[in-house]
Amino acid sequence: MRESLMGKYVGARVNRVEDKRLLAGAGRYIDDVSVPDMLHAAFLRSPYPHAEIGSIDLTAAQALPGVHLILTGEDLKSRTYPFFGTLNFPRFYQPTFWALAVDRVRHVGDPVAIVVADSRRLAEDACELIEVDYEPLPGIATVEQALDADRAVVWPKSKTNLHYQASERFGDVDAAFAAAERVIVETFDQHRHSNQPMEARGIVAEVDPSSGEMTIHASTQSAHMVKWCIALLTGRRPLRRVVRQMISQRDHTKAIFKGMADYLKATPAMVAALKEMAPVMLKQNVTNVERTKAMNGAFVGLMGRDPKTLPAALAGDVGGAFGAKTAVHREDVAVCAAALELGRSVKWIEDRNEHLTVGSQAREESVDLAVAVRHDGTILGMRARLTIDSGAYPGFPYGGAVIAARLARTMFPGPYRLPALEFHSRIITSNKATYLPYRGPWEIETFVRERMLDVVARQLGLSRAEIRRRNLIGDDELPATMVTGPALDVRMSARRVFEKAMDVTGADDWEKTRAEAFAAGRRIGMGFATYIEAAPGPPGYMDNVGPGFSAMVDREPINAVLEADGTVTLHTQQVTHGQSHETTLAQLAADQLGVPMEVIRISYGNTRTAPFGLVGTAGSRAATFASGAVLLATKGLRDRIVDLAADLLEAAPSDIVVEDGRIHVAGTPSIAVTLADVAHAAREKGDEARGAARGDEAIRVSELFDGGAGGWSGATHVCFVEIDLDTGLVKIPRYVVVEDCGEIINPAVVDGQIRGGVAQGIGAVLYEKSTYDDQGQFQAGTFMDYLIPTAMEIPDIEIHHVETPSDVFANYRGVGEGGAIGAPAALCNAIEDALSDLGVRITEQHLPPARILELAGVIPTLSPSR
Amino acid sequence: MTADRHPLSMTVNGNRIDLVVESRRTLAEILREDLGLTGTHLACEHGVCGACTVALDGKAVRSCLMLALQADGGAIETVESLCDDDGALGPLQQAMADSHSFQCAFCAPGFLMTAHCLLAEDRDIGPTRDEIREELSGNLCRCTGYQSIVDGVERAVTALVEARNA
Repeated sequence: MRESLMGKYVGARVNRVEDKRLLAGAGRYIDDVSVPDMLHAAFLRSPYPHAEIGSIDLTAAQALPGVHLILTGEDLKSRTYPFFGTLNFPRFYQPTFWALAVDRVRHVGDPVAIVVADSRRLAEDACELIEVDYEPLPGIATVEQALDADRAVVWPKSKTNLHYQASERFGDVDAAFAAAERVIVETFDQHRHSNQPMEARGIVAEVDPSSGEMTIHASTQSAHMVKWCIALLTGRRPLRRVVRQMISQRDHTKAIFKGMADYLKATPAMVAALKEMAPVMLKQNVTNVERTKAMNGAFVGLMGRDPKTLPAALAGDVGGAFGAKTAVHREDVAVCAAALELGRSVKWIEDRNEHLTVGSQAREESVDLAVAVRHDGTILGMRARLTIDSGAYPGFPYGGAVIAARLARTMFPGPYRLPALEFHSRIITSNKATYLPYRGPWEIETFVRERMLDVVARQLGLSRAEIRRRNLIGDDELPATMVTGPALDVRMSARRVFEKAMDVTGADDWEKTRAEAFAAGRRIGMGFATYIEAAPGPPGYMDNVGPGFSAMVDREPINAVLEADGTVTLHTQQVTHGQSHETTLAQLAADQLGVPMEVIRISYGNTRTAPFGLVGTAGSRAATFASGAVLLATKGLRDRIVDLAADLLEAAPSDIVVEDGRIHVAGTPSIAVTLADVAHAAREKGDEARGAARGDEAIRVSELFDGGAGGWSGATHVCFVEIDLDTGLVKIPRYVVVEDCGEIINPAVVDGQIRGGVAQGIGAVLYEKSTYDDQGQFQAGTFMDYLIPTAMEIPDIEIHHVETPSDVFANYRGVGEGGAIGAPAALCNAIEDALSDLGVRITEQHLPPARILELAGVIPTLSPSR
Repeated sequence: MTADRHPLSMTVNGNRIDLVVESRRTLAEILREDLGLTGTHLACEHGVCGACTVALDGKAVRSCLMLALQADGGAIETVESLCDDDGALGPLQQAMADSHSFQCAFCAPGFLMTAHCLLAEDRDIGPTRDEIREELSGNLCRCTGYQSIVDGVERAVTALVEARNA
């Protein structure tokens, strides 16, 4: 049943709690962390895309006064465990590698050595003094090169640069194509570009010199993920010592096994998933022995570790991430290894050149697509082949490319009727930086599908709205099931959202408007894109990525605490990094409890106090998961508060009213008790009233939310452009988003998320590219080469909301990724529309002015399309 | 790499500061590391993103590109100076907060100082929305798409103009 929040905060444009701190310049971002006796690290990085490492001469660098330690890849072999693949899919190769390059560098910026010195300046000076002999190898910079059997392989043990292949058929694909009146074929490319949060990566490994214990200060999307990944990969000791430790802490070892057994007993879905995956896991264990050894070594090392030596992780304010901070990076492990070696704290702050070169790159994908249609525009089926260039080293704890491939395949039908789909995926490895998830990592499905719908419409002589209307799933067809598996519940509003977007923009009259403008010499265009976003998706959605994924991630823990002073603390595993959770979660809690927002504090980012969760803030999940968890826990807390207040006021709990933090009997507001009174009473009363309260806490309620009914967010973007063919400049005079993300907690936060996403999508199309030359040399290492759009380039974005009424519990859905999913397609469609009289077909996503002029035939084509 | 160190005198947020600094160190480093004013952020260190913007004698400058010694004798203002004496947000900061201008807010100090210098300009009427966009185009934000930031500065401008005309 719906928790009907009648309070004053939810739904209102409440000012952000965060701003009191952040706008005062009093935030605590990673570079603001300073701990006593701290040293500073810098990395020596490869200038080559691909090379054998000969000798490394550290003599001069080590002699520099103020240099404390230099570690190379060889040094890490005895001090850390290698990175290894944690996922299990058929026909999937995951390389094993070290935090610093060993024997070979595989992309420009590959870290070769870490230098720790008194200051960052000195550490960088020392890097300059290190002599490395490189023997350059040919680089792999394109998919064609990667698949060329005559070229070098990036990972010799795999014998090929093709690291993942999958082919699936949903529905009767052959029948669909046999029945087709037209088959339309096209290939679409998306270029490598980058998350680029304004705060790059960084870490402070704080080591307590007396105990040797480590606290990791991290700029991350998940504190627990950092803690456990660092625990897994650092603190390596010889196996005999690990085993001796396991024996000496027999009870702890037994408890680990018992814990695993209990977890499996309580999670039948995981048992089923493991059974399903067993043959795949076994095969990988046998065929990729290097990985098996690395994985076993690391996990045995973790079990044979004194639990008192496990690190803690702390995330403070995080200066943006957009997916880039879902991983534990090789530099993180090298910094922690250096700190443990020295027994001293070490700080590393990535600079922009490093971040552009190695810190976060994404999105390099292409799709070959064939669509079977009838003359009237009815889509019968599709055949698609997705290719991803994942760069050299996969991310950890999981490679972003394979997850993106799985999600793109799942989402390929979007909100359209698609009876049959054949989907092939391949992932190649190259001499480029790590491919990481970027805001809507599966966005290629929307770009390709929405681009293709325009192509099909033009080929069939239909309007672009008409082909969508013919195929969009309407309210009368719900609930329905996507051919790839996910359920579409009755709240899936794509058709209504689309129609509203057409209404708001007058899109149906567009042809006339454009013809008049063309006649007047103005080159204008309009494009739209419709998509739905699993934010978080229906129950079990993540099982489409792989068996057991939902069981692993669909659990949102939360602790709601009434403190002794009458304030309320919510401990969450979320790590807000711009999403304003300190505000939105407090709005929900305040309304549920009947207290002013100032009473609520959101506590996050500290593994010592936050409940366990590896996801943190990612995947547009918080709106449903964290909100639902807050509602459950604060409901439980409220019940306890009301019971205690009823005792104090000598009334029945059903007669108790909580308003503005004052608790009274209905009808007699003048006689009231406060939350502090209730806290006092709980502490007097003892365990029964206090729940799981610890220390000074008065009451503690813990809840775990499974996501409930979940659901879909979705939007239609409509983009208007005007193109100047003298300069190739594309102007965006109007940009409209009509969206449905369920009930809105804070409209200003929702609108901000949408606008930010759209801005990144516009940047991707018109400005941003992580450019490599055909040897794999990186060419966009500054903000003068990699262009982030400014306030001059991003227009005001007009937003309209559709809310689908529902009784579903926690009917709040994510909206963080959608803007970036819809914008590239809408903008590219608008550009093609503006060039339609020239017969231009847009099959690529990066369209800077020079490319516009090439496509329009104003200048000869010099650059290849990618 | 041997330190050539020179005396540096400047005022920072109204306080007289005397230091001896290595000549290669930037103004941003001195503010953050030596004076503990970590509100000034470093995001690109090559003068493009504007996160490090501070006011030098009332003009917006990039403290990442400026050697600390170049500020000798100058008056520096940083984001920390915008708060009221009691530590509450000042009018410009409040206008930005009221407009939900920022998300991760890593870029906020730079935008605030750019806007602070813009608002300090002695002009009869405030800048238009288009002029505000142009003035802010030297600062990068990755979260917001800028609209809310422009809204915030416009709100601050409106309040200022109203106050001047009152």
